Amino acid sequence: MANRSVGVSPLPLVELLHIVHRYGETEVLSDVSLTLSGGEVIGLVGDNGSGKSTLLKIIAGYHQPTSGVVRVLGRPTTLRNAGQSRALGIEPVYQDLAILDDLSLWRNFFLGKERRRGRFGLGLLNARWMRKECETRLRELGLSRIQSVEMPARLLSGGERQALAVTRAVYFGAKVLLLDEPTASLSAREAGNVLQAISAARQRGLSVLYIDHNLHHVLPVADRVVVLEHGRVVSELRASQVTEDELQRLIAPPLSHT
Amino acid sequence: MAIRRLVLRQAELGPTLGLALAVAVFSLLSPHFFDPQSLTAITTGASEVGIVAVAVSLLMIAGELDLSVGAVYAFIPVLWVILFRYDGLLPIVALAIALAGAALVGLVSGLTTVRFSVPSIIVTLGMFFALEGLNNLLIGGGDLVVSDRDWLLDVFGQRLGSTPFFAALLWLLVITFLGWFLLTRTAYGNWTQAAGGRLGVARAMGVPVGPVKVSLFVLTAVLAGFAGCLQTAYLRSVTAAQGQDLALLAITASVVGGTSIYGGSGSVIGAVLGALLLSVLQVGLIVVGAPGTFYVTFIGVFLVVVVIVNSRLTARWRTGRSA
Repeated sequence: MANRSVGVSPLPLVELLHIVHRYGETEVLSDVSLTLSGGEVIGLVGDNGSGKSTLLKIIAGYHQPTSGVVRVLGRPTTLRNAGQSRALGIEPVYQDLAILDDLSLWRNFFLGKERRRGRFGLGLLNARWMRKECETRLRELGLSRIQSVEMPARLLSGGERQALAVTRAVYFGAKVLLLDEPTASLSAREAGNVLQAISAARQRGLSVLYIDHNLHHVLPVADRVVVLEHGRVVSELRASQVTEDELQRLIAPPLSHT
Repeated sequence: MAIRRLVLRQAELGPTLGLALAVAVFSLLSPHFFDPQSLTAITTGASEVGIVAVAVSLLMIAGELDLSVGAVYAFIPVLWVILFRYDGLLPIVALAIALAGAALVGLVSGLTTVRFSVPSIIVTLGMFFALEGLNNLLIGGGDLVVSDRDWLLDVFGQRLGSTPFFAALLWLLVITFLGWFLLTRTAYGNWTQAAGGRLGVARAMGVPVGPVKVSLFVLTAVLAGFAGCLQTAYLRSVTAAQGQDLALLAITASVVGGTSIYGGSGSVIGAVLGALLLSVLQVGLIVVGAPGTFYVTFIGVFLVVVVIVNSRLTARWRTGRSA
């Protein structure tokens, strides 16, 4: 497990330097610095209100930091909106904003990026190619319950949806994946689907920022764990060097009066 | 596997079964159901509503409604006939201009809906009244008679050989095929479904939701106008009242044919089968002796029952995930 980042460039994809974010009087993030590198999964953990989601939204371009510098591929960048982040290969994967219930799996997979036939922009779908491609990706992912890519996405479980969304983002060339609690409200088996998709993304050299309450899910898949508390990074650990219990104590020190 | 396919085809399954049942019942009740006059009435009625339902179902799948198609269905042929009868244009040239007018109507409805984020049911209701006023202005309560001879009028309105069928039926088949192809075989069809699914998802995936919706409004108005011209060539006249119930009938046909009123899913073929079913019910009821105008009462009840049954079945299917 020590050599997880084989064959991956050490290039930092996104660097956050001294990020401060305020909502009015409230300082949500205070001087946070974080580097996302290719082939690495960072587990971002912390209590509610520690600023995890805000940090993710800054990288996704939904929020702009009050102060501090964001560097993408070494270059200082202002991420003005979600479209700009996405154009740079930063892809947030949301639980409810990824998959359309009524479309079949392959139509979902290629939505907005359909493979067409012919050169005249007639938009004729190369359905056979897309079905096959989607089938191959899903098989690689080990989603064995899926019998046909023609089935409507509403028949997928929550974990399968997330896995499909992650796989799609990887397939279409995302460099940084942002996941906010992708395993929330999933069964263990379903969470397994998502974690597997995350591992596959890492193997392809992506950087993954992964927020989760459930340390049991974070530890097996993360290379590095960053603990946020009241908007500050309080510890940063290699996942292989810490146990779940130790980590739990870092996030929520046992209250003395209980 | 077979069940899965059946479920996937569910949109067309309902109207197909309904159609089979209705034909069986009416042909048992009356020996006249298969008379040439009945067949003519069924197919011309189905063509009138069906062609419009192709477009209306696509628009509904994209999450929008168009209540103005009935007024367009009268307004465009009125424009057409005026242009070639009184302004001396060739019918084909007049048709091109009239359909361009239809496209403009759709463009206005579409842009207003998308730009101002007004529900399309309101925008097209406004358009309906606006066009109705224009119709009254142009021909009032009278009608325009088309006595001209022209190949275009034949292509639109003539009887197909010695069959009981008329040209509109062929047009219906062609337009149904094109609509089905557009929805299931092109990227545009994918985007249509996405636009009516969840807006956030469609946008996040880079689907040009606005242009898709606007172009569907244009398509709907053009097809409604075109169907009106077919009807005019068949009847050899047009009145301002032509197509009065058409918007509601086309929506009914779409819903009966499995298109979701909330958007996101549906079937062009289902909508056309729905239109055929409505026409069979209308003619069938007359053939078995019901008063000619009574059938709408029946269709009203039928529509609500179909939707209740459909939503029950869908709910059961959705919870039965593990199958």
